[in-house]
Amino acid sequence: MIDLKLNRVYKKYALRSDANVPKRWYRGLRRRSSEVWALQDVNFEVQQGAAVGIVGHNGAGKTTILKLLSGITSPTQGEITIRGRLAALIEVGSGFHPELTGRENIYLHGAMLGMRRSEITRKLDSIVEFSGVEKYIDEPVKRYSSGMYVRLGFSVAAHLEPDIVLLDEVLAVGDLAFQAKCLDRISALRKNGATIVFISHDLASIYRVCDRALLLDRGRLLMDDTPRAVVDAYQKMTFADRGTMMERELDVERPAQCIGISFSGAGLHHPIRTGYPMIARFAYHAAMPLRDAIFRISIYWPSGYLCAQLTSEASRPGLTIERGEGEITFECPLLPIQPGLYRVDLVIESEGRELDSRERCATLCVEPGRPAMGDFYIEHMCSIRRDIPHTNCTSANQS
Amino acid sequence: MAVTSAAAEAVGVVWDQAAPLEKSKPRRVRVIGPAAFSFGTVFAGLRSLIQYSDLLYVLSVFRLSVRYKQSVLGWAWAALQPLALMGIYTFVFARVTRVNTGGTPYSLFVFAGLLPWIFFSSSITNAVHGMVAYPSLLTKMYFPREIIPLSYLTAGVADFLIASLILAGLLAYYHVAVTWNLFYVIPILFILGAFAAAVGLFFSAVHVRFRDIGLALPFVLQVWMFATPVVYSLQSVPARFRKLYLLDPIAIAIDNFRGAVLYGRAPDARMLAVAAGEMILAVTFAYAFFKSSEATMADVV
Repeated sequence: MIDLKLNRVYKKYALRSDANVPKRWYRGLRRRSSEVWALQDVNFEVQQGAAVGIVGHNGAGKTTILKLLSGITSPTQGEITIRGRLAALIEVGSGFHPELTGRENIYLHGAMLGMRRSEITRKLDSIVEFSGVEKYIDEPVKRYSSGMYVRLGFSVAAHLEPDIVLLDEVLAVGDLAFQAKCLDRISALRKNGATIVFISHDLASIYRVCDRALLLDRGRLLMDDTPRAVVDAYQKMTFADRGTMMERELDVERPAQCIGISFSGAGLHHPIRTGYPMIARFAYHAAMPLRDAIFRISIYWPSGYLCAQLTSEASRPGLTIERGEGEITFECPLLPIQPGLYRVDLVIESEGRELDSRERCATLCVEPGRPAMGDFYIEHMCSIRRDIPHTNCTSANQS
Repeated sequence: MAVTSAAAEAVGVVWDQAAPLEKSKPRRVRVIGPAAFSFGTVFAGLRSLIQYSDLLYVLSVFRLSVRYKQSVLGWAWAALQPLALMGIYTFVFARVTRVNTGGTPYSLFVFAGLLPWIFFSSSITNAVHGMVAYPSLLTKMYFPREIIPLSYLTAGVADFLIASLILAGLLAYYHVAVTWNLFYVIPILFILGAFAAAVGLFFSAVHVRFRDIGLALPFVLQVWMFATPVVYSLQSVPARFRKLYLLDPIAIAIDNFRGAVLYGRAPDARMLAVAAGEMILAVTFAYAFFKSSEATMADVV
């Protein structure tokens, strides 16, 4: 069964919603194109139970799609078909009234989401417990912290028992424990056959939640594929123009400076691939001799979380560096990280002091190598033995 | 439940224990297309309005509880406004100049007119301004938008009922005999309320786009009030103008409301039918208009 269908959907926004009529007419006479197409000819279908992620730059039309699906606005052309009860978690808590208590807001917000009062009363305890704001439930929400606000909002929406869930960056808020709860709730909804449409700049959570992804660019649907293929294409689109280290003037006043970084496979022009060797060359300039020097390369996930670090400290603690330029070579016999584009930080330290750091100054592009699912490729072997009684195998497993 | 992360365990919630999700309900299929003005939207709109009837209730209660929060006199304000106006009009029209009221004390006469008028005008004013008071409601959430103006209307009904207690007190004080014809106020007020809904829906939909409505509304209502027999009686209007008055359903409603309450007069059936007909036309048109402009309110608010 198809839960969502967008059929040749177009959405136009007027750029100036200047309500001053004479002024608008005057401008309209001078220049006609004061409108922008937020979506152009977007077609896709979502099967029941699927989880679809939408990625794209700001202004690509992601939020417009969610607004159309949730009924907040309607398409300029085309048709959207929705089968079932839909819950939009777009900026949850925006329907709250600051003067009302948490409890009153649960009723207000729940009713706005289309719940009956009896249904809310039945689920009230569960909603309050999930939000974790039991103690403050009879306080006006204007005294809540922003985290409590969002938690309560998500909690109400999560109890809607929707057939279709729209998520927009909701996981970016709240602490780690709450994020984990939200992800669990989303998985529980999926298990029960709910369809999910998910928008996030956190590409890692697109991997985690979705089994299909769409790539939008300037209102057009560019790609409809697996999350990995779409995220890779999106990253290539994003970083294509910034593949090398960003230029910076050499500053002779600085005691030490990072001046370059390059990555390669086993040979200089070999590609970098998962499960194969990698070599990183870190070029520096030292204006004076450095004692206890540490050179560090930090590799970040697209989401901005630290993925791994290469540091000279691990193999060469207490490194002493002469004055002048040089290059530190890091050799990884086996690169365990997944294919994709990573951002790189460089740091030089000496005697516990940071002398220079370059943040997100380069990209590391890892191409597919050995097959691996999950976050890392773990080096492993397997061997086959035959003619062993089956019981042996299970007892070995259990011990 | 397979996915139970360490963090979720740390806070002691495991989703297994949550209420099982209801399954295999019949699903409603909705098709969203470009906005268009059509009377067909009226029926679809009413159906979804019934689905959201609990929101209308919650929002109306909420209007009342928020309105009088942090005010010392609280609910008394619902009665104070008509009382104050009664005072000033009584001074002007009973002391400065004379109005023919058919023997009824002017203060009672004018109060019986002000009561439905204030219900009508304040419902419209609140609906129009309330529509844009919380833009995030329009841009971040979906529910049938007419619930916002309508919730101000139902809150206005509550204010009307409170002020009615004062009217009942005045009737008792002046020993006005109440007859069974008092029950005619029910259809009269229904017409008045529905017309207020129509005007409120129409103006609030336009106001989202053009804030001129909010600026024009105070004097439009002021002019409308003096063009309606609120502070004077319909009988004192010269006969050649009286026909024009009978085109205005508000004039019919207010004059007949006063007639039923103060004089125990049954309304003229033909007049009431005309008003009811106008009301049905106005409500249908205003609702269809509102529904057609609802679709893009989030884009222009």
